[in-house]
Amino acid sequence: MPADQPRAADNPFEEPDDIDEAALTAVLRTVPLGAAVLAGGAVALLVLAYLLIYLWIFLPRGVVG
Amino acid sequence: MSDRSHEIPERWILHTELLWAFGVGVLVAATISIIVFTALTRNINPPSNVERVDPKTLHLSGEFAEQNLGTVVAADGTVTARIIATQFMFAPHCIAVPQRRPVTLRFASPDVIHGILITGTNVNTMVVPGYVAQVHTEFTRTGELLMPCHEYCGLGHSEMWANVQVLPAAEVKPDRDGRVTCAQH
Repeated sequence: MPADQPRAADNPFEEPDDIDEAALTAVLRTVPLGAAVLAGGAVALLVLAYLLIYLWIFLPRGVVG
Repeated sequence: MSDRSHEIPERWILHTELLWAFGVGVLVAATISIIVFTALTRNINPPSNVERVDPKTLHLSGEFAEQNLGTVVAADGTVTARIIATQFMFAPHCIAVPQRRPVTLRFASPDVIHGILITGTNVNTMVVPGYVAQVHTEFTRTGELLMPCHEYCGLGHSEMWANVQVLPAAEVKPDRDGRVTCAQH
């Protein structure tokens, strides 16, 4: 092959796809669950911080209005 | 791609999004419920008072004239403190208030926007020229509390602060006019 000709390896789309379809399906079924757990955990931490500040700092500081 | 066997069905995506939206809805409703519950049962609300005052004549006559500043215990027992926030000081510099009694703090500014908070309490408001900022509160602990200006108001902003002296109610002895001044240490 001449040196100035592009090779298949230069273009990832032309690489042979040797991914096991069954494995890919299994992974993609669990990805949304992982995203939900990550996002849910982050939101849960924020809510917990809000509640702790509310109960331990805001309420003891007393009446205002 | 002709093989779509590994793609997630759209109904799964919709199901996940609806579930997430429901969870967020529950959180928003819970947060609003907490705010309403606190307002109704603990009497903790954002201070809100729309009351005009002329900043040009603030110091000349009326409620915020010099002789009216500071803490006053009225004949009916209500405690009101009137304070002017101005570049770069509070007048008076020390505000005496009784412990565990309802106190009304009234602020006005003749120049620029200021803001105040009283450390360790929920008292926190802006002081906007042309308006009276009013906060109702009750101080639970005795001692000296710092009250800094928390809205940048000019080069001397960092030097603008006052003390709130919370005294046991029995030690608060108003003079003939009902005025209370800070105890000297």
